[in-house]
Amino acid sequence: MTLGTQEGRQPRAVADLLPVVPIAVVAGGGMAAVVATSWGLMPLYGEPTPGADGWRQVATDLGPAVRETLVLSVGATVLALVVGLGIALVLLAGSPLVRAASLAVLAVPHLVGATSVLLWLGDGGWGARLTGAGPATWPELVAGPWPVATVLALAWKESAFVALVVLAAVAPGHRERMETAATLGARPLQRWTRVLVPSAAPALAATGLVVLVYSIGSYEVVWLLGRTTPEPLSVLSFRLFGSIELLDRPAAAAAAVTGSALALGLTLVAVAAGARVGRSLGAPS
Amino acid sequence: MSATAATAVRRSATGLALLWLLAPLLPVVLWAVSSRWSGRARLPQELGLDGWTAALEAGLAPALVRSVLLGLAVAAVATPLGAWAGRLLGWRIARRPRLLAVALVLPVLLPPLAVAMGLDVVVLRIGVPGPLAVLAVLTVLALPYTAFTAAAGFARVGPGPEEQARTLGANPRQARWLVTWPALRRSLAVAGLLAFLVGWSDYVVTLLLGGGQLVTLPLLLGASASGTGNEPTTAALAVVAASPGLLLLVVAALVLRAARADATGRSGRMAR
Repeated sequence: MTLGTQEGRQPRAVADLLPVVPIAVVAGGGMAAVVATSWGLMPLYGEPTPGADGWRQVATDLGPAVRETLVLSVGATVLALVVGLGIALVLLAGSPLVRAASLAVLAVPHLVGATSVLLWLGDGGWGARLTGAGPATWPELVAGPWPVATVLALAWKESAFVALVVLAAVAPGHRERMETAATLGARPLQRWTRVLVPSAAPALAATGLVVLVYSIGSYEVVWLLGRTTPEPLSVLSFRLFGSIELLDRPAAAAAAVTGSALALGLTLVAVAAGARVGRSLGAPS
Repeated sequence: MSATAATAVRRSATGLALLWLLAPLLPVVLWAVSSRWSGRARLPQELGLDGWTAALEAGLAPALVRSVLLGLAVAAVATPLGAWAGRLLGWRIARRPRLLAVALVLPVLLPPLAVAMGLDVVVLRIGVPGPLAVLAVLTVLALPYTAFTAAAGFARVGPGPEEQARTLGANPRQARWLVTWPALRRSLAVAGLLAFLVGWSDYVVTLLLGGGQLVTLPLLLGASASGTGNEPTTAALAVVAASPGLLLLVVAALVLRAARADATGRSGRMAR
């Protein structure tokens, strides 16, 4: 079967649709259905009862949930970017061991990372055992007032992703750029700030956005390591969804829609800001 | 900075990077081989495989099989679809490249929980089996990774070799199968690996849409990790959950090294 023309490589327009259709059906259909559920248009049983009951039910929880979600996702993003850039610098200097370790971390499921952090930082974790701290003296790093364990678990895995993407973006021509800067009289710090950081900036911005959006939508890490009050959006949404009260489903969908809107909204703002920065630097539109 | 100081800084940075990347996994390894580690003891007091026995009793073997099958199924569907999209993007022959790129980025931006939650009602109403729904969602989640990996491969290889084969008399199918696909072997292997890992690692989509029929390894791990007092079992499950990714990585590295050695040998022979 071929959708391409016989004479050239230019495929028919329908070829574009082959990968788009499953995304539209699954992701688009899923999002449309969750929005409809939040407005009472898609109940599990019975007739639709359009209205904002679900939104009203969850309204008081949404503010704290959004705040909790932003705290952990921004924290994880900033830490992943800082550590990821540091690892990328080590990789640029050439370290096959660090490269293999980064790839290994990337291949480990998030839930395994969260389990490890739990076994380190939980009440009876290795951290408490190594320091000899009792249950009363060990800080509440898991499920505590600040999402320390959640941020560390997300940042640990995402820092490897940031490092490898930044490495791929910066490595070509890196040595030549640094040597040219040195020849022109730039000191080591200037070479970092004027050459390295600007060349890594687009990759850092793109990976930062991916990490931020992933962290907003993340469930298992946040559920395992986060506190129960207030809950982040994903945990609030899943708890309501699993409730035996079917009327909680629109409220669960409303929390899920809020998380999606947050992720998409931040993406649009970031893309617009990126485009403005690109224009101000004279990049072609 | 002197050369000695620079070397010391580089070594310290390498050590710190390794510590950050590998230290988090240490307690999993320790707990997986401990049968007694009580109270304040800094290290396990007794080594053993009690956690593994408990993990096997909890259903490790069938969960492992289900996870492998799910990962393979996601890779089997998402890799050819990704290769299709990758060809359009990599060779810049898409009629609507912006639409295609935006569509491919969308699954990365949307929370999987929201997508699965929306589909749950639809799936229940029209009677789609849970595992099939899980496969559909995970395939779409894997598509951006397979498509962009394949696109990079297509961009690297370019349409030139295929066109030359056509000039030499090959028909389009022969040119594609005998020239382009072999050149893309590495990219497609990486794409397949990434898709497998998406299926293998998933927790929330399987939990939500699997309807309890599809108990994979992450689900077993999540249930164990959220309990208390069963650290050896949790650690044993975590080691198994982490191992295929690491194993595939080692295999991929060996295959790539062999391919590189083969290519070097071939170019060496040609030079002679």
